[in-house]
Amino acid sequence: MLEPTLKVEGIRVAYGKKEILQGVDFELAEGETLCLLGANGSGKSTAMNAISGFVGCKAGTIKLEGQEIQNLPAHKSFALGMVQVSQSRDLFPQLSVEDNLKLGAHVRSRDTAKSELERVYGYFPRLRERRTQRVMTLSGGEQQMVAIGRAVMARPRVLLLDEPSGGLSPQFVNEIGTIISALKEDGATMLMIEQNLGLAFKVADRFIILRDGVVVDGGTVADYADDHEQIVRAIYL
Amino acid sequence: MNTNPSMERKSWKASRRLFYVVPLAAMFIPLVANDYLQFMVNIMMVYVLVTVGFNLVIGNLGQLAFANTAFFGIGAYTTAILMSHLGFTYDIALVSAAVVGGLAGLLASITALRGIRLYYLAIITMAFGELMRWVYIHADKITHGTDGLPLYNISVFGMSMHSDTAKFYVFLLITVLVVKGVSNLLRSRVGRAIIAIRDNEMTTASLGISTSNYIILTFVMSGSIVGIAGAMFAATTERVFPESFGLTEVIVHFAMVMVGGSGSLIGSVIGGAVLTILPEYFRQFPGMSELFFGGIIITILLFLPKGLASLLAKLSPVFHDRYYRD
Repeated sequence: MLEPTLKVEGIRVAYGKKEILQGVDFELAEGETLCLLGANGSGKSTAMNAISGFVGCKAGTIKLEGQEIQNLPAHKSFALGMVQVSQSRDLFPQLSVEDNLKLGAHVRSRDTAKSELERVYGYFPRLRERRTQRVMTLSGGEQQMVAIGRAVMARPRVLLLDEPSGGLSPQFVNEIGTIISALKEDGATMLMIEQNLGLAFKVADRFIILRDGVVVDGGTVADYADDHEQIVRAIYL
Repeated sequence: MNTNPSMERKSWKASRRLFYVVPLAAMFIPLVANDYLQFMVNIMMVYVLVTVGFNLVIGNLGQLAFANTAFFGIGAYTTAILMSHLGFTYDIALVSAAVVGGLAGLLASITALRGIRLYYLAIITMAFGELMRWVYIHADKITHGTDGLPLYNISVFGMSMHSDTAKFYVFLLITVLVVKGVSNLLRSRVGRAIIAIRDNEMTTASLGISTSNYIILTFVMSGSIVGIAGAMFAATTERVFPESFGLTEVIVHFAMVMVGGSGSLIGSVIGGAVLTILPEYFRQFPGMSELFFGGIIITILLFLPKGLASLLAKLSPVFHDRYYRD
């Protein structure tokens, strides 16, 4: 059997004495998109931050293509190909769109960065139009595009998307959905957190539901395509 | 800011032309300037480099480090000591001042690397400057203490540099090279990383970028540039005194950065030049000069909080620095 690209086994994460994740397990195969669902405070973002190295694990293992990466600092996880687009986007507001994008491939060669930039502009033609514009002057949806584009510049092994539709207008949610689908078609392996079930089910292959720091349910999107209500019940009730 | 790529290219070409036209025009200054004006233009170039170096750390890297007078004094005293005691020529002493200034920058960067930030960093780096001043005063066998250390036989490549005109051409060449070098650096991937650290150090690190290396590099470059300015200052005054590198000097350097525009290279050039000339102009009003000088600084910062560079940027995109803080 093929080794999963990402394998999370029994991870436990605590903030002080409060244990947020109490033994979470899941796997992500090459080219697959998995969606983490759950109510606020269920541990979705904590799980993602533990995978990308922004928070440490008390116990458990996280393997990227067989290599243990739990408790590696974020920049080392990034170098291995674990690239996160956080909820707050973490852009550089004073820099132009192109500078922000190039920073995603800063540690790669100049030629690679150039070809990656063209690839990103292929996904986001709107960003090419705005390439010299400072990020602080963009709309929320365009900023989200820059954040995703910057992550794509790094050619991630696993792309982690924390609520890509957060705070966006329906038009931008559609656009972001189309872009994520295009990335998926090109073989990207993605783990995403998404409250917008419409978007989640448009792009994800599988989902798992977290409640109080443990995985309580999961399945393939195709099985629940016509029954979103059952998933909502599983998340909130 | 313009967003049209072709317009951006045009303004970039125009600013490049401007970069060469201004120094070319400046070459004719000795033909029209008297001795006093020539001396002031030379001092102006010294402070332009002081501001360029300081702005790298304050405005571009975003670190509130005030080791500038330490770098300035170290550059000046390195030059004076090497020339007076060891008989070095000015050209070698100047290069040495750049190297020793860079080493001082490396030393100053340790504070920032240890996670010391904001006011704590400001106080520690200011104390570094004061410590160096104490050394200049008390190591009198080498520095001649408060009597000052003289420089003799200033020459470059065997040519005498005693006249202010000769100094002017050497200084103009150095200033153009340094400003062009910093301009290129800020437009490169190194510059991009430096600005990214200023905007969000944590995120920059999370992108796999070694923030420590860039922080060290910026401090070293700043120390080196201000060290060169110190060497130029020593050659201009021909005697180096400890009082030239006190706390008041830190405030003047900081004012030059802020009046010109924090994070703006054009602003550094303007800030350094304007705040060198203004006090001289106000000397004709004895007893009132400080009042006028302070009043002008307050007025500029009140109406142009982003410095004189922001006014120029409004007038023409040619003057808009790519990494200037909006």
